[in-house]
Amino acid sequence: MNLDFRKKLDSKNFLVTAESSPPKGSDVSSALADVEVLRNFVDALNVTDNQCSIMHMSSLAFSKLLLERGHEPIMQLTCRDRNRIGLQADLLGAFALGIRNICVMSGDHPSCGDHPGSKAVYDLDSVQLLDIVSKLNSGFDFAGNELEGKTDFCVGAVSNINPKEFLQILKLEKKVRCGADFIQTQAVYDVGMFEEFMESISHLDVPVLAGLIPLKSPKMAKYMNENISGIHVPDELVSRLEKASDPLEEGLLVAAETTRELTKLCRGIHIMPIGSHTRTLKLLKKAGISRR
Amino acid sequence: MIITSSKPFEEVLALLEHEDDIFIIGCNVCAAKLKTGGEPEVLDMEARLKAAGKHVVGWALPTAACSVRSYGSLVEKNPAIKDAHCVLVMGCGSGVSIVAKVVDLPIYGSNDTVSLGGSSEGKLLTQLCVMCGDCNIGEFGGFCPKSLCPKGLLNGPCGGATDGKCEVDREKDCVWALIYERLKKIKRLDLLYEVHAPREYGFK
Repeated sequence: MNLDFRKKLDSKNFLVTAESSPPKGSDVSSALADVEVLRNFVDALNVTDNQCSIMHMSSLAFSKLLLERGHEPIMQLTCRDRNRIGLQADLLGAFALGIRNICVMSGDHPSCGDHPGSKAVYDLDSVQLLDIVSKLNSGFDFAGNELEGKTDFCVGAVSNINPKEFLQILKLEKKVRCGADFIQTQAVYDVGMFEEFMESISHLDVPVLAGLIPLKSPKMAKYMNENISGIHVPDELVSRLEKASDPLEEGLLVAAETTRELTKLCRGIHIMPIGSHTRTLKLLKKAGISRR
Repeated sequence: MIITSSKPFEEVLALLEHEDDIFIIGCNVCAAKLKTGGEPEVLDMEARLKAAGKHVVGWALPTAACSVRSYGSLVEKNPAIKDAHCVLVMGCGSGVSIVAKVVDLPIYGSNDTVSLGGSSEGKLLTQLCVMCGDCNIGEFGGFCPKSLCPKGLLNGPCGGATDGKCEVDREKDCVWALIYERLKKIKRLDLLYEVHAPREYGFK
């Protein structure tokens, strides 16, 4: 894996990133093994920051472990757990440890996770955090103090993909205005809707990596429609999975077909499997995505 | 109005497990309006404590628990406070704190203080303000996202908002949907495009 995601964004290549979850515990062996199979098949690995507000090892520590093993991490950073002091401190620490890519987001509310009574911080929102990363990159902290050594982060943000959600699009515009170098999106199942989304943001000069969560069953599709914000699995797709003799295989085929369509619409894909990456290589092969 | 909710009676009783000779102080403003510390609630508390075997020496209902002037003003209302070994305040956290300043006895609160809110058209409205000390509510048309959004997001909704509803409570409107409608109504949609800087909490 070449360690320069920013250069890859500037290239003409169709990019592949994949989500990697730090372990819930101090033993990193299975979490590292899960992404080892992706070596040379993805451009970077997003390291989640206590995803779904469920407490895990820090994304900073696990990003460093990936870096030591020659992977290229994109350290996710949410606004949920740290104030502006904590976030900036971790950003400086991450840069000093060699981490060069960040992806910022508000973060799921603590009430969704396994420590529901914890204090929700949200001192900053994702737009403000992007602005702070830009400041650190220019050699100053939020308060205007000069830094002893600036950062040089490639910083991304996330977005929903419903073109009719005016406020979501507006927020995406603000993210780009505040320095987002790339956007990773919520999972795409309706390519037509995603195409409309891309048209609605055509005035924004930012590379977009479309989210991909391979479906495993019609039940999973229905669950996501009902419970996961910003996800819309069209009815035709649900019934296709219902009719399939092997829904798991069919779900992977759907993801591969979606990927082929997406190669014409955006700069890359971001794979977020529910569970492990055991089937990710098969998906990439079916989609015709070659080794890096 | 300070929004309070009554703790379950069992919880209040547990707080008072090692106490007796209790004096109850209600609050005739917010808590009375919310039925968490007005006269009927104070009388009900007295009756239930007595039924649970506690000795209640008396009670008083100052205009506002958070504005009690002095110990003397409480004695004027009910001298029985002199026989008390502890005080139970049925107001908000401010009310308990103010009473604690003037009464040198163990003190307990029977309510949980929830937020700053109000009531209008017969409806109780909670979490209208977080008292951040750096107010810019006008830029959001009069709906404060610091308070009405569980994440306090100042630059638009989170990705969890769906069909104008909040990620944390699907029954609740996303405040950003309300802000949008309000700004549209007052012809100030231009305000939506502003990038709002983080607030200077308490240090303006």
